[in-house]
Amino acid sequence: MIFRAVEDADLIQRAAKGDVEAYNLLVSRWEKPMYNYLLRIAGNREDALDLTQDVLLKAYRNLAKLEEPGRFAPWLYRIAHNEAYSMFRKRRPETSVEDVEPRRAAAGASVGASAVFPIELSLAVAGALERLSPDQREAVVLKIYRGFKFEEMAEILGCPVSTVKSRLYTALDLLKEELAPLEARGVS
Amino acid sequence: MSCSPYDLKDYFLQELADPQRLEVEAHVQTCPSCRLELDRLRLTHTALASLADEEIPRRIGFVSDKVFEPSPWRRGWAAFWASSARLGFASAAMLSVALIVSALARPAPAPRLAPAAAAVSDAEIRARIDAAIEREAAVIEARYAQRTEQLVKDIELRDSQERGAIRDAADMQIDYLQRSLQAAKRRQYVASVSDGGTR
Repeated sequence: MIFRAVEDADLIQRAAKGDVEAYNLLVSRWEKPMYNYLLRIAGNREDALDLTQDVLLKAYRNLAKLEEPGRFAPWLYRIAHNEAYSMFRKRRPETSVEDVEPRRAAAGASVGASAVFPIELSLAVAGALERLSPDQREAVVLKIYRGFKFEEMAEILGCPVSTVKSRLYTALDLLKEELAPLEARGVS
Repeated sequence: MSCSPYDLKDYFLQELADPQRLEVEAHVQTCPSCRLELDRLRLTHTALASLADEEIPRRIGFVSDKVFEPSPWRRGWAAFWASSARLGFASAAMLSVALIVSALARPAPAPRLAPAAAAVSDAEIRARIDAAIEREAAVIEARYAQRTEQLVKDIELRDSQERGAIRDAADMQIDYLQRSLQAAKRRQYVASVSDGGTR
C-alpha cells in the first residue's frame, strides 16, 4: 500500500511535468474506484461513466495546481464531487444543493453482486443505501467503500469534520436498523 | 447510549489515536453492552461489504487519445463554424472579393468622349462588374457548399460511431446482467441442494 502510494506520487509529479503516459497509468489505476464512487452517488452507469471521463480529464488539466502529490486522492474526489453536483444542479436548477437527489437507477441496477455474499444481501444493502439522503449516502461511500479519513472527507465534501461525522453516524444508525433483520437471519 | 470513554464508531472506523484506541479496547473487554454495540457495527460493515465494486463497462479515454487533442486549425475552424458570426463573415468576404474584382476589372480612365460613347462605356463596366460578382459569388457558394457537405459527412460518421459505442455498451450491460442472473441461479441451486442434503 505504501509502495503504491509512493508510485502514485511519482506518477503525479511526472504527469505534472507533461508526461502523458504517466497520467495514462494513473487513469488506469483510478478509473474503477472513481467510476464506482460516481455510480453510487449518481445512481446510473451512463452518468457515472461520463462523469468519470470528465473528472479524470479535468484533473489532468489542473494537475499543476495540486501542491501535494500525496493528497491526490482527496483532491481527485473533490473534483468528482463538484462535477457530480454541478450535473445534478444543471438538471434541476431550481433545487438547492442540499436537496439534490440524483436520478435513481432502475431497481437493482446499481447492485454489484459479490461472489462471496448472497445476492439478496447485496439487494438489501443497495436498497438501504438508496433510502439514505444523498449527503448520508456519499458519506458512507467515501468512508466505508473508499476508506477516506474524516479530514479527507471534509476536504472532498467542503464541510467541517463535525458535519461529516454527523452525516456518517446518522447513516450508520439507519443502516444498522435496516440491515438488522438480515443479520439476525445469519446472513453475515 | 454507549458508556465507552470515546465514541465506539470513531473506534470502529479507526479514527482514534493509539492511546484512545487502547482505552476503548480495555473498556470493551469489561462492558457487555459496548461489546454488543461493536458487534452490531461489525455486522453492518460486513453487510455493506457485500456490495462489491463493479467493473467499468468501457475504458476511460486517455488524455493522449486523439479525441482530446484536436489540431489548432481544427479547434479554430470548429470555434468559427460553431459561432453565429460565420454568416456575417461569409457575406463580408463575398462583398470584399466583389469590390476587389471590380476595382481590378475597371479599365483605365478613358479620354473624354462624346456623351453617347460615355454612356455605352458605363453600361459595359456595370455589366462586367455584375458578371464578376456573379462569378465570385458562385465560386464562394460552391466552396461553402462543399465544406457544408464535408461537415455533414463528418457529423454522420461521428454519429454512427457514437451509436456503435452505445450499442457496444448496451451489449456489455446485457451480458453483465445475464451473467449476474446465471450466478444467482447457480447460488440458488447450490443452496437448495445443500438444504436438501442437510435435511
